[in-house]
Amino acid sequence: MTSIDENLKQAVVGIAGLGGVGSTVAVALCRAGVGHLVIADFDKVESSNLSRQQYFTDQVGRNKVDATIENLQRINPGMKVEGHRGKLNAHNVPEIFVGADVIAECFDTAQAKQMIVETVLTKMDKPIVVSVSGLAGYGNSNAIQSRRISDRLILVGDGVSSTESGQVLMAARVGIAACHQANAIVEVIVDEIQA
Amino acid sequence: MEVLKINGIEKQFPAGQLPSTVAELLEQLDIKPATVVAEIDGQIIERKKFAETKLRNGQSIELVRFVGGG
Repeated sequence: MTSIDENLKQAVVGIAGLGGVGSTVAVALCRAGVGHLVIADFDKVESSNLSRQQYFTDQVGRNKVDATIENLQRINPGMKVEGHRGKLNAHNVPEIFVGADVIAECFDTAQAKQMIVETVLTKMDKPIVVSVSGLAGYGNSNAIQSRRISDRLILVGDGVSSTESGQVLMAARVGIAACHQANAIVEVIVDEIQA
Repeated sequence: MEVLKINGIEKQFPAGQLPSTVAELLEQLDIKPATVVAEIDGQIIERKKFAETKLRNGQSIELVRFVGGG
């Protein structure tokens, strides 16, 4: 096992929200060999989600946390996955993600994104947060970027393409942003966190 | 002239017209407070403190804006 593999295996990553971004980040990190995920979502899989989220027709109606755990176990049964089935807020985020090295912010609304980024940066000492802002629509792949905002904040996206402005979420562009996010997380784990 | 560095770009204000608080700056920039994380000189300012956090000439402010989709 290389030191890269060892770092990934020792890492604990939190994923807040299991929609198009979060479900894709979970799969990418599972395949990359991250040892321990803490995943959280309150929602159930709907048939409309299948256009871009990593679920299957037979999982419609199931809790997204349970469906994600099932999918990840089919990829790598050796990975530890802890699931939280409920809404995240400024009070429970520090408890649920205690011990995380990195937290992936994968929520859908701007307000929820603000809440978790502010909470992680002000109420938790350790985790780096990788957040996503601006991934709706299609084309314009290269406008999606990863930027280091500060020691503990990395921001992915184009900053503007949004559901508020009426743009739809599509698998390809959501996937680009999600894989930017997963890639930034792998980079942080390998280069900045000691196993 | 007074100046604030906002997301790396210097913004000048006539003397005495610097926005007095983070909340006032966001209002001038037409940014909804619920969609932004603000950092002044490297320190995160919680949203609930936007209205009471005073701004001073020469400060460096990072405004991280969020739009919907995930």
